[in-house]
Amino acid sequence: MKIKFTALALSAAMVLSLAACGQSASQSQSAAPASGSQSQPQSQSASAPAAVEEVMPVTLTDAAGRQVTIETEPETLVSGYYITTSMLIALGQQDKLVGIEAKADTRPIYALAAPELLELPSVGTAKEFDLEGCAALEPDLVILPLKLQESAEALEQLGINALVVNPEDMDLLEETLDLLGQATGSSERAHALMDYNAETEAEMAELLADAEKPSVYLAGNSSYLSTAGSKMYQNTLIELGGGENVAAELEDDYWADISYEQLLAWNPDVIVIAADADYTKEDLLADSQLAGLTAVQNGAVYALPSSFEAWDSPVPSGVLGIRWMASALHGDLYSLEQFRQDAADFYKEFYGVEIDTQLITQ
Amino acid sequence: MTQTRRIRICILAALALTGAAFAVSLLVGKYPIQWDQLTAGGMDARVFFTLRLPRSCMALLAGLALGAAGSVYQTVFRNPLASPDIIGVASGATVGAAAAILLFGSGVLLTALFAFAGGMAAVLLVLAMAAASRRRDMLGIVLAGIAVNALAQAVLMLLKLTADPERQLAAIEFWTMGSFADITLEKFLGVLPFAAAGLAGLALLRRQILLLALGDDEARMLGVRLESTRRLVLLLATLVTGAVVSMTGLISFIGLLAPHIARLLAKSSRFSVTVLAALCGSTLLLAADILARSLGSSEVPVSIVTSLLGAPFLFWLLCRKEEQDG
Repeated sequence: MKIKFTALALSAAMVLSLAACGQSASQSQSAAPASGSQSQPQSQSASAPAAVEEVMPVTLTDAAGRQVTIETEPETLVSGYYITTSMLIALGQQDKLVGIEAKADTRPIYALAAPELLELPSVGTAKEFDLEGCAALEPDLVILPLKLQESAEALEQLGINALVVNPEDMDLLEETLDLLGQATGSSERAHALMDYNAETEAEMAELLADAEKPSVYLAGNSSYLSTAGSKMYQNTLIELGGGENVAAELEDDYWADISYEQLLAWNPDVIVIAADADYTKEDLLADSQLAGLTAVQNGAVYALPSSFEAWDSPVPSGVLGIRWMASALHGDLYSLEQFRQDAADFYKEFYGVEIDTQLITQ
Repeated sequence: MTQTRRIRICILAALALTGAAFAVSLLVGKYPIQWDQLTAGGMDARVFFTLRLPRSCMALLAGLALGAAGSVYQTVFRNPLASPDIIGVASGATVGAAAAILLFGSGVLLTALFAFAGGMAAVLLVLAMAAASRRRDMLGIVLAGIAVNALAQAVLMLLKLTADPERQLAAIEFWTMGSFADITLEKFLGVLPFAAAGLAGLALLRRQILLLALGDDEARMLGVRLESTRRLVLLLATLVTGAVVSMTGLISFIGLLAPHIARLLAKSSRFSVTVLAALCGSTLLLAADILARSLGSSEVPVSIVTSLLGAPFLFWLLCRKEEQDG
């Protein structure tokens, strides 16, 4: 016990002395717990009027609790995260991007809405961020996910403005939208997208108010024996789309592996396959172990489309996941045709593209 | 050619090579630095002084540290396969880093602090276990090292089990691959005092290290306080390694390879071989980091490069040695 305490005290002392060494590091560390990543942006968005005036300079508190002052509207942007890149397209800022995250070619929405992004230099991944490569692009503003907070601080030392965001669920996604809107002078579009999200939730809630809720099993990305528990974004999606998650009892905050027996015991009315699944609907249907499931026998196995964005994850078009879920679970109240139309309208309005609605399937 | 002269020539050549590698390391990078702008204080100067120079210095220091520590370990253990890893530095540091990643997320400084604490704790545990055992020779330390390694692996597996596979688990895995990509000036300055103190301590103990290499009985007869000296030397070598890898993540092979090259070149086992090993380590690591930052369109973890280059090189050394023996 005594040893433990000494070790703790020692490490605490080391933390303090280290924090005192790096000035910028200590600033951000002391600022982070004080302001919190959630409170500030929320209060800002609450006080902001519906039509927001663009005011520069603006000082923002980012998701790492750092104060970022943007003097003039940035003319060149670097985005180190696919969610913010997609968001910047939705905010009409794609022409300002001079560098984006690696593996851009795996995102169908780029090819569709902003093919020029595929030609941009890569600034690396969340694991290996290319500081020098990013500096060489001389961007006015760099947008990074929370895991690249250190890189943001290094960029700050280089005199490059960097904004840290953390869009990991729907609420945080809206905060990020709000931040990016203010940072790039496109608050109006950001609020339009946020309004669309709120309207969709309200519309679906009203439409599905009296509908019976089928039990839904969401088959995960890596295997159909992995699923989303109550803490995951996908759980919200099922509920807003008018279903009940059979795996809501699971407490995991990431995909949880389950057994055949567990799935047979749940015996869901509907099975929904995640958008980025490594297997196909046919694989699942061909599994003789699952042949007895109600969902399989009734042909109620649906796969989220993957031709645009993974609507079962917190991306800007993630709100369409709610509509898709409603159309799959309650086709009598909200038809696939209606959804196709709504999705096409969404992409037309926010991404400026005509999509091939036949790619939207169940 | 006398042995002293041979070593002196080798060290001079290695110094020149290290200097050349350092210079190339300063010149290579994604940012096109305009050298005439360096004193102007613009972006060129900031990139050079906060990124390029600290990164090159860190690779230099890490190479020196890993090469010297590896050489000391091989000398003290009288075993060409000995490295700081066998008494748990690497696995302890990985456990520390993993714990920090799970507890605090992304902060590199906290991860470094925990990794350092983990590595040192593992080695202290090994030395304490060896002291408590009835064995008084090196084998006692090796066996204790195996036990602590196994323990650390178990803890690490437990930590990995609770990690979120996409973010935390990936971060842990990437940490074990090492990288100089995010080294900035303050991180280098954070490592420098620990590594320098350890290296200075090893230099001061150079005579004792050589005596330890003679074997337990001879060393004791020559007046070395065997166990306490051995413990101190191992702790210093660990301090050096731990300080470096806690900031960069694990760097494979340099600690094993550099001393072998040095011994082959110098054909001797004096302390100057440790100096030569340190310089070889620096040259190798600088070269590896230059490749790591220029091979692909984005950064490659440095241990991939060191292992990829190190493995065939070691094999070549083996074959060459056999030819000479035969």
